Amino acid sequence: MSQGSSRRGLFRELAAAAARAALPDEPRPVKPKPPLLNDGEVERYSRQLLLPEWTEMSQIALRDASVLVIGAGALGSPVALYLAGAGVGRLGIVDDDDVEISNLHRQPLHFTPDVGEPKAESAAAKLRFLNPDIVVEAYRMRVDETNAPGLIEGQDLVIDCSDTFATRYAVNQACCDAGVDLIEGGAVGWAGLVMTIVPKRTACYRCAFPTAPEGSLTCSQAGIAGPVAGVIGSLQALEALKFLTGAQPPLVDAFLNVDLATMETTRVSVSRRPDCQDCGDG
Amino acid sequence: MTWVRTKLELDRLQSGQTLEVKLPPGEALENVPRSAREAGHTVALHGETVRIIRA
Repeated sequence: MSQGSSRRGLFRELAAAAARAALPDEPRPVKPKPPLLNDGEVERYSRQLLLPEWTEMSQIALRDASVLVIGAGALGSPVALYLAGAGVGRLGIVDDDDVEISNLHRQPLHFTPDVGEPKAESAAAKLRFLNPDIVVEAYRMRVDETNAPGLIEGQDLVIDCSDTFATRYAVNQACCDAGVDLIEGGAVGWAGLVMTIVPKRTACYRCAFPTAPEGSLTCSQAGIAGPVAGVIGSLQALEALKFLTGAQPPLVDAFLNVDLATMETTRVSVSRRPDCQDCGDG
Repeated sequence: MTWVRTKLELDRLQSGQTLEVKLPPGEALENVPRSAREAGHTVALHGETVRIIRA
């Protein structure tokens, strides 16, 4: 083929392309995407799927998520109930305590016949009834700095519902080291707080509270109104769902202090500390 | 449930694409167009057929 005929061929192709471009758009056949949720899932999760910000992909993100809940007590009960109900695909429940009668006023996963049973198993059994489509794993153990890294490995999110500062610091350290996102919470008396942590990007729990406050009391010492734990646990669950679905921005670089005696909430800004022993760069 | 299923189908479309939904007379035929408009989509009603152009 001569160079001239090749050039004419190119011109013909360019002209044809220009002509095609000048034509009004013809409707192109649209290849429908296959549905990702089955009919049962659509029905079960329909009320959250109705939210404009909550898409099918939000629900898939929850189904694919693996979340560890540390503590199956006052905070862990509402957290685990809401996450199981919302369709988090894999829930791990960690607790080494047994159910006591004095737990029941604030721990709605456990009932009177459960007294004496391991809390992790008692909680897991209820959660499997609530949502048989998810996987619930019970771990009967107390989290400390030696076992926290192994428990946290492979999780998409950890929710700390423990009741001691030692456990909170151990979980915070392990999550910062592993780069696993964390939602902290605590409640006692008539008040509580909640905080979401993206390790190495936002302030961690130790950035906010470098040392445990002296003289801090536990629920067994200071008492607690049951619904106070319900509110704080619900806020932790809400943060988890916002975070996992991307439907709303989570509360980072701040903690929310909730005083339920006065019904006042305070958002307290927190910055990363470069010298933080858990997440600092040093 | 009809609007949930319609919303999920709309989520799968791109902006400007049209979804056609045939509905029996009754509640769904009232609710689906209203919900689609509230969600910002363009809606045309032809008898029992609802055409929704995704926003």
